[in-house]
Formats: sequence, C-alpha cells, structure tokens
Amino acid sequence: MATKTSVVDRLRSRIGDASPPISATVEAGHLKRFAEAIGDPNLRWLNEAPPTFLVALVPVSIHLAEAEEYGKGWLNGGNRFEYIEPVMAGDHITATGKIADVYEKTGSSGTLLFIIFETDYTNQHGRTVARVRGTAIRR
Amino acid sequence: MTVKVGDEIPELIKHPTTRQLVQYAGAQGDFYEIHYDQEFARSVALPGVILHGLLKAAFLGQLVTDWLGDRGSLKSFEVSYRGIDQPGRPYRCRGKITKVDGDQVDLEVWGEDVDGNKTTVGSATVLMAQ
Repeated sequence: MATKTSVVDRLRSRIGDASPPISATVEAGHLKRFAEAIGDPNLRWLNEAPPTFLVALVPVSIHLAEAEEYGKGWLNGGNRFEYIEPVMAGDHITATGKIADVYEKTGSSGTLLFIIFETDYTNQHGRTVARVRGTAIRR
Repeated sequence: MTVKVGDEIPELIKHPTTRQLVQYAGAQGDFYEIHYDQEFARSVALPGVILHGLLKAAFLGQLVTDWLGDRGSLKSFEVSYRGIDQPGRPYRCRGKITKVDGDQVDLEVWGEDVDGNKTTVGSATVLMAQ
C-alpha cells in the first residue's frame, strides 16, 4: 500500500493534464428528464439548459485511479458555474476538462485530499458557453 | 424591479426522495453507490444514502431562476457542500441580496436541513435586463 504522501505527489504531477475533448448534442429529451429529476417544473427547461445541466451532458472524467488509494470514499466539495451564453436544445457542445489543482488540507475531521477539476464548454460555433469548476474530495 | 441589499428572495422547499435520487443518478449519469445503495453508503461511514451535491446545487439554481424569471440572466453560480442530506427530509433553499452594482446583483444562497443547518452554501451573480 502506497503511503498517502506518495499518492499526493503522484497526483500533483498530473496537474494540468487535460481530458480528450468530448462532444454531445443537447437533446430535448435529456433536458426534460433532467428537469424532471431535479423537480423543476419551469417550461423554460424544455428548450434551454437549466443552471447545472452541463455536468450531466457529457461525462468528462479524468480517471485518477491512484486517488482511490487515499481514504475511503469520494465527496463532492463544491461546484462553480460561469455562464457566458445560454445553451439550447440542439446545440452541439464540446467539453474539455483538466486537473487544475491537487492538495491536502487538515480540518476538524482529519486530513482530506482535494482535487480541483475545470471544464470548458464550447458550442458548435466555437464559442465558449460556460466553465465549470468542481472540487472532489477523498476522505 | 427594485432589489436592495438584505432582501430575502422567496424560499423554495424541496422534498427529495430515494426515488428522486435514482432519477437524478440516471439523468446526470452519476452512479456512485452512496446515492442509492444503503449498504454501500453505510460501508463508507455514511448514515445511509445521501443527496448528490449537484442535486442540491440544482435546487439552489431553481431558487435563483424562479426568483429571476425573465428579468435577467444568471452569470455565475457557486456552491460548497458542507454537510450531507438524506432523502425523506425537506430541504429548504433560501437566498439574500448581498450587493447591487448597477445591473449586477449578487446573492448569497444556501440550503438548510430540518434542523436549520446550512448544509450547502453558495453565491450567485445575475445581470438584470435593461
């Protein structure tokens, strides 16, 4: 079993690593299922992506197998969404994710490992429509 | 519309169920077992299945877009997950205006469990239409 420190060092060496771009078309059916799942009855979301939809559109994942050597499980620490243009049904979106940061932090519940992911979303016109930052925690 | 610092926006109370967690897992494509498998959740020291952080973010997103309507657009939105929440308990979403700068309005948003613990905290910035 690797020590926690060496796991952190190996993960830190991957800061800046990018995922291959992944593309998907925003389907009206997916928008509807998503709005139903979050329980938001606003008819606007039949045609437009609600605020947190992009994380569901394409599974941007940079698999960090070595992170699973650390702690017992994953927790989601937080998300930040920046909106530049509305995303509508029919848009073709390309997502590119990267590992923005990796660090350990000691708090009241012990030492935790934080991994920050950043994803840029561009549409079929090549314009960036949104950016999302996510904090994954190993505990 | 007049908005001023300190104003609370209308609250939104959600009633998440285990069924909703499964629905959300499917809609988001997040199949981490802590959201639908009680035994697995307990094996990683949780009291049982818990809400997806992003589902709570979606609730807070609805809080803001319900209030804003078509009077403006959401520019940014940020949430931190501070505590876990279990299905079968009401989740109260609230927000307050923290800054008004021309057309730009900043809000503090948060979600509370039944005991009033702020298990999700965050902020949003909106641009009001002219």
